[in-house]
Amino acid sequence: MATIRTDNLTKYYGDVRGVEDLSFSVEAGEVFGFLGPNGAGKTTAIRTLLGFQSPTSGSATVLGADVTDAAALRDARARVGYLPSEPAFDDRMTGRRLLSYHGALRGDVRSDELLDMFHPPLDRPVGDYSRGNRQMLAIVLAFMHDPDLLIMDEPTSGLDPLKQETFLEFVRTEREQGTTFFFSSHVLSEVRKVCDRVGIIRDGRLVEVASVDSLLHRSGKHVRLTLGDSVDGNAFDLPGVHDVTVGGGARREPSDRGDDVTTVSFTYTGAYEPLLRRVLEHDLRDLSIEEAPLEDVFMRFYDEAAEEAAPQQSVDGDAADGEAEDA
Amino acid sequence: MLETVRYEAEKRLLGSLALAGGLAGFAAMMTLLAPGVLGEVDVAALAEQLPPSFVEAFDLELMGSIEGFLAIELYEFLWLVGLGAYIAYSAAGTLAGDIETGRIDTLLAAPISRERVLTETYLGLLLPILLANVAVFATVFAGTRFVGDPIAAVDLLVVHALSVPYFCCCAAFGMLASVSAPGRVVAEGVAAGGVVGAFLLQTVSEAAGFSWLGAVAPMRYYDPTGVLTASEYDLAGAGILLGATLVLLAGSALWFREVDVS
Repeated sequence: MATIRTDNLTKYYGDVRGVEDLSFSVEAGEVFGFLGPNGAGKTTAIRTLLGFQSPTSGSATVLGADVTDAAALRDARARVGYLPSEPAFDDRMTGRRLLSYHGALRGDVRSDELLDMFHPPLDRPVGDYSRGNRQMLAIVLAFMHDPDLLIMDEPTSGLDPLKQETFLEFVRTEREQGTTFFFSSHVLSEVRKVCDRVGIIRDGRLVEVASVDSLLHRSGKHVRLTLGDSVDGNAFDLPGVHDVTVGGGARREPSDRGDDVTTVSFTYTGAYEPLLRRVLEHDLRDLSIEEAPLEDVFMRFYDEAAEEAAPQQSVDGDAADGEAEDA
Repeated sequence: MLETVRYEAEKRLLGSLALAGGLAGFAAMMTLLAPGVLGEVDVAALAEQLPPSFVEAFDLELMGSIEGFLAIELYEFLWLVGLGAYIAYSAAGTLAGDIETGRIDTLLAAPISRERVLTETYLGLLLPILLANVAVFATVFAGTRFVGDPIAAVDLLVVHALSVPYFCCCAAFGMLASVSAPGRVVAEGVAAGGVVGAFLLQTVSEAAGFSWLGAVAPMRYYDPTGVLTASEYDLAGAGILLGATLVLLAGSALWFREVDVS
């Protein structure tokens, strides 16, 4: 049974669209990244899943509990940890008091262990906390009852790079223990590090659900050639070649025969063999093939202008696993 | 069980102590001033010079005794309207404030129902109500004995005991404002303004002969002056206030259960 499942989940605030027709599921034990630019509807979806607001239409279940069934969802929340994007607490209370309060509400089985990794100054009033300390306290509160599912909204925001790393490492460890994660982010590097699958949301609609591997695969390789002969863009009109740029002679050191070289770079989503055959027809001086940064993939989904390019990309890429988008 | 009541009460402790201290200070001042004012000012003669409607509206004819003096100078205004409005205002700031700042998110993510959050938050407001009662009761009790004009202990006890349902009702009204108004400031304004407005409505409607209009005012059911000067205990009124409290709380809980917290 899916840990989280949504069916055409839609939330409007009056006439303003929060999310529309979200359909996806998060399986037990996976880390699901929910990606999108600011204002795309990530927080709306999360708040609806937690029952903070009711859907306008469609449905969703969390750990089997319908989000519109207050009693069932309340029971389910005993097994859910929530990490808000901007955790807010009563400023005059100390971290320790908040810890004991929330521990009494949901049970505290591992705050000691968590406090070894994340150590907000517990005896100070939360009003004196830095953003990072506040976030660390929120992390401890979210995990202290050892939940089966973590719903996190931009979890690393406010943490310094070292603590971000600690946190992501912690998420990986927890995942190995079977904990399910659903978290929103726009930090692609962290998504890359911990997520099994991602859903990409734009303007309230889910535009893609795919595994991180498949996204990377589909995004292809960055190919960069340095050629001794002069070529034009059509020299590499193979299937799977995109965005060819042909540069002029790069200035190389004198030993480099001194003559003109041409650099050609493009994105390639096909197999290696035809590419290499074609490359060897030229006077090859240098070749680099690198994984395209995940950013490029997301930019395609985020960028209105790139919208038309996306379908043609997914034809030559492998079919995404997971549900297809319904945007 | 009741963690939220404890937490809320703890949060209010300092403020409640300050409030109780301030009210006790004012009560002490009025109690100590009373003998001097009563001895030097001929209230009956003063009342004759003022318009009858004014005299009636402020029960000036009762001012001649320490009970009447305290009833009017302390209980009818600062206590009834001032503290009533403050309690409603505080109640209105609770959930509305937590929602506005996002503080409520961590709480609502816990396995606790919204109804329970609301009820326990409400119960936390009993702390300022009870502390204010204890402080003012003790001050007036001791103060009137100190100035040698002791007020009847039972009347004083009753005036405070009957104030509890009254303040509970004000707080419940504040809770309703807290969950239904769009934002903390509006909720607080509606709650405090509602109490003051109800007081005005009750006073004016009686003077204008439309006293049925004042039936919605909680002050109709709690009359400190009657208790102190005539030993009239309006127990039915207290019952009505408690009933209204339950209705207001149930309404707030229903509303809060359905409303989007965002």
